[in-house]
Amino acid sequence: MASRLHPAAIAVYAVDALRQGAFPLLVILGVSVLGGDFDADAAIRAGMFALLGTAIAALAGGFRWATTTYSFAGETIRLRTGALSVKEVEIPFARVQAVDVEQGPIQRVFGVYKVEIQTGGGGSGGEIELGALDEREIEGLNRLLRRGAPEAALGEEHPPAPERRLSGRELAVAAVTSGQLGVLLPVAAGVAQMSQQLFEDPLEGERTLIGALPEGTLGWIVLVAGIVVLAWLLAALGTVVGFGGFAVRREGDELRIRRGVLQRRQATLRVVRVRAVRVVESPPRQLLGLASLRVEVIGHAKEQAAAQTLFPLLRREQVEPFLRELLPELADALDGLAAPPPRALRRYALPPLVGTIAIAGAAALAIGRLWPLAIAPLGAIYGALAYRAAGWRLERGRLAVRSRRLARSTVLAPAAGRESHDLAQTLLQRRARLADVAFAFGKGTVARIRHLDADVARGLWAAIGPR
Amino acid sequence: MSAIPEPAQRLAPQARWAWRLSWAGGCLVTLVVFGTAGGDLPGPWYGIGMAALAVALVAGTVAVPELRWRRWRWEVREHEIDLQRGIVVVRRTLIPMARVQHVETERGLIGQALGLATVEIHTAAGSHAIPLLRDYDAGMMRARIAELARTDDG
Repeated sequence: MASRLHPAAIAVYAVDALRQGAFPLLVILGVSVLGGDFDADAAIRAGMFALLGTAIAALAGGFRWATTTYSFAGETIRLRTGALSVKEVEIPFARVQAVDVEQGPIQRVFGVYKVEIQTGGGGSGGEIELGALDEREIEGLNRLLRRGAPEAALGEEHPPAPERRLSGRELAVAAVTSGQLGVLLPVAAGVAQMSQQLFEDPLEGERTLIGALPEGTLGWIVLVAGIVVLAWLLAALGTVVGFGGFAVRREGDELRIRRGVLQRRQATLRVVRVRAVRVVESPPRQLLGLASLRVEVIGHAKEQAAAQTLFPLLRREQVEPFLRELLPELADALDGLAAPPPRALRRYALPPLVGTIAIAGAAALAIGRLWPLAIAPLGAIYGALAYRAAGWRLERGRLAVRSRRLARSTVLAPAAGRESHDLAQTLLQRRARLADVAFAFGKGTVARIRHLDADVARGLWAAIGPR
Repeated sequence: MSAIPEPAQRLAPQARWAWRLSWAGGCLVTLVVFGTAGGDLPGPWYGIGMAALAVALVAGTVAVPELRWRRWRWEVREHEIDLQRGIVVVRRTLIPMARVQHVETERGLIGQALGLATVEIHTAAGSHAIPLLRDYDAGMMRARIAELARTDDG
């Protein structure tokens, strides 16, 4: 029994077609308008083209809707689309790894949703995409997939589902602290250096100020500061748009995540596919005692590159209670980790220090002044922070690994869920009896702890057997 | 002290020649490019470049493949795949059979000439390769891993 999509799909597909044809259409429009003098004739011609384009798109949308059907046969979901070239996709229920529900602007007008059904393989995007389904149809689909069998699709009472919403205040804090620090820091450092240069030489006074700096330095500073503020505002805006209305709910063995202001999205994750939780504390958030939570989900093709956000902002001490309530399978304490041995400290500090010294030296040579050398020690400070952040724990099969790149991040996961794990030792580490251990939990999450005592590292590596 | 014994299998002895050939080929290409384009370089830079190329050629064809081959060990057991390799960084990797998504074998140009193939093991987090095994061994291994991975479904 094959069914069509909601008729709203006609509009969805028509807009798709229009979008695909938009560029050539615009070119035609432009040529027809600019080709002659712009008069009433040209305007009418342009209008005709636009109308024609829309009509063709509507026709294409209708055709696509009429030739697209989906059905459930036995234990599989099947999609058939097209008439001239027919494409059929069949996915066994057991292979369905995630069902993503999204509502774009057009779907919103009709009160329908776009559904993407994901399997483990394949590239990004759902292996089956259903452009428009209403809520009843989605509920039915979810029921089928949950049971794994169409016969069992009768109602069942769930215990009250734990849910956590992002409050307006939390969203505001998340937005303010979301600045892309990776971009901002060097710019901010540059501004600081320049202003230092401007004001730190009071003896020679104005002469230095004017003589040593290119004209318009103040203008440059204002410009850079403007860029910083703009980048920060954009990041904040992105956070509000992306995470507005964020809510996560635990239903049985699934997590339902809803988010988005303009583009409302809902994703359903199976808990068995969640391999690791990552607690990320970016520097501004760490200062405020805040963290965001991400999950590594296996076989979720769309989010392969970056793990998915489980919750955008939490107080650090709330992380464990939050996980106990919504994801007890992976809940664990954030603290009480074992650090690498003290002799590892200089190995953390030295490589970044060499890097910053090289950069500072090159900069100083290039402009023939000494002040860039002031950034040289930054590498050592960074290395020391990375050393302080590093830690690990393995208790009853639960692994916790903390490390720092720019943000401090703690990976919590059952060790048995890793895809592979590594023990690595460079020649230098061998002399110092140190080694690295790394656990890969997915494409987006590798928990690595550097410069452990070699015996400890070997023990940790071996403690996680093949099981 | 580790509970898991070290892997003992080696790559095919011809692997060294495959590495030598491909390295020498790379050096040749660089030589041609540098020889035609580098003549205008100021002062001693042309000579320095040539010398560096010569050193790279000798090191990459004489010493490195031998060392690399000696260091490479692997083992496919019932429940895991165990890899150990590296000259400067010695790395040991354990991949549970339950995590293997699929296995591939691949033969490049040089591999075809020498009858060698690379086995690639894919997990959800990325892929790992056991390079340059004898063709027949690689095929057997692909079949064996696929078999073990199927029975050990996680």
